[in-house]
Amino acid sequence: MKILLVCSGGMSTAIIVKAIEQQAAKTGRDLTVKSVGSGEFADTVKGGWDIALVAPQVRHRLAEFQAAAAEAGVPVALIPPQGYSPLGGAIILAEIDKILG
Amino acid sequence: MDKIFAWLDRNLIPFMTRLSEQRHLKAVRDGIISTIPLIIVGSFFLIIAFPPVPALAALVKPYTAQILLPFRLTMGLMALYAAHSIGYHLARSYKLDGVAGGILALAAFLLTSLPVAVEDKGLALLMENLGGGGMFVAIIMAIFAVEILRFAKEKKITIRMPEGVPDSVARSFEALVPAGIIIPVVWAVRHLAGFDIQHAVTQLFTPLVTAGNTMAGVLAPIILISLLWATGIHGDSVVGTVARPMWLVLLDQNIAAAAAGQPPPNIGPEPFFQWFVFIGGSGATIGLVCLMLFSKSAYLRGVGKASFLPGVCNINEPIIFGAPIMLNPLLFVPFLAGPVLMGVITWLAMNFGLVAKPFILVPWTLPAPIGAYLTTGGDWRAIVLVAVNATVATAIYYPFFKAYERKLLKESAQEDSQ
Repeated sequence: MKILLVCSGGMSTAIIVKAIEQQAAKTGRDLTVKSVGSGEFADTVKGGWDIALVAPQVRHRLAEFQAAAAEAGVPVALIPPQGYSPLGGAIILAEIDKILG
Repeated sequence: MDKIFAWLDRNLIPFMTRLSEQRHLKAVRDGIISTIPLIIVGSFFLIIAFPPVPALAALVKPYTAQILLPFRLTMGLMALYAAHSIGYHLARSYKLDGVAGGILALAAFLLTSLPVAVEDKGLALLMENLGGGGMFVAIIMAIFAVEILRFAKEKKITIRMPEGVPDSVARSFEALVPAGIIIPVVWAVRHLAGFDIQHAVTQLFTPLVTAGNTMAGVLAPIILISLLWATGIHGDSVVGTVARPMWLVLLDQNIAAAAAGQPPPNIGPEPFFQWFVFIGGSGATIGLVCLMLFSKSAYLRGVGKASFLPGVCNINEPIIFGAPIMLNPLLFVPFLAGPVLMGVITWLAMNFGLVAKPFILVPWTLPAPIGAYLTTGGDWRAIVLVAVNATVATAIYYPFFKAYERKLLKESAQEDSQ
């Protein structure tokens, strides 16, 4: 599964990428996770992702990300604030499973 | 307290969000942000030209002019780069050709300057209007140029190429009609009517720039950024959208003074907030992270450990969402009060000349003492001020942190007993 994260500058999502990867390693899941800043999102989202996740601190720009992702046919979801921490990998993965069914 | 958050959510956030999402402001933000690498690298040549160590300073003195050249052609032409880049981003947001938007914006901006005759050299453009001082003109002219481009496209006033002409050629002709409107209009206003656009715009924005230097002018962004972050919205990026052009003008004036060997005049450019107020990230959370490292609550200790290194690099989303600070009534008070007090202390310290004013743009992920030292051109007292401010913030966090810790411990004890 390929997951794309977006925040303002791609800095704090890099921490979340690690959290998700650690959680995935624990449960033996095969994931590719990448983080980008808001400026690169529109171009990167075209690269065949299963889901795009938006960091809570840029949730005010959700509509803009949704529009870009819709063109690429990628579903978009907000990362729940409780999951946006180095310890939040499990929360985020559970959220992804809920959305993708 | 919940009422405060509800009020913010209902009033401040939607308003600030709309402001930061406004198309033109967004293009200005993205356009200026793309010039920041040039400003950072360019301004570092200032440190090389005027090193803080006297022995080194004497050594490089004969070469100052040459060393300053990269600075003059990057930072010194800031508005020029910004005009092109804002034009590009605004055109792209309308799904128009970005390059066409960029060059039209550049032309519109350059046409506001009058070349002067220099003996034996021909005509020369004065650089004074092309640096930070021309930033607001660059913004206005870029918007003007791209709106004309959009107008021409919408009204279909374009020169159409026959089928089979390559796309890139056809696109370059799209800018022909807009250029045919923009160039004569600016020329007529500036040269025929003699209206000095540069001067008028500078006059118009002077009160704003002056206000940015006052105590209220630095506290307002601090309060807004903290309020936005307290509800989990990226405050700096929202407030920066509106404030950054002003911050850059203040920075440019400081840099120009420093390059001329004078003390910088302005207190309030962006490094003021970056290095002296938002230590460890918005809300000055580095002290809170340190308190959490030694918390009795295992959860807080865990978040503290994970947040420490990012915090040193001024990335504090882990603690804002992890502690959490967001929508947390107990941590909201010090999250707002700490930075406000630090802003007051820093403003006073700089106003009374106890610490040099910031004039160099340094990458924001450096630890605060290093960033503060560099941005003041190597003033050791800046490091002392960072230490004082961080201590003040930690002291303000302490009682609220303790109360929050007690609450978490009580909750986990209840869970255990169930």
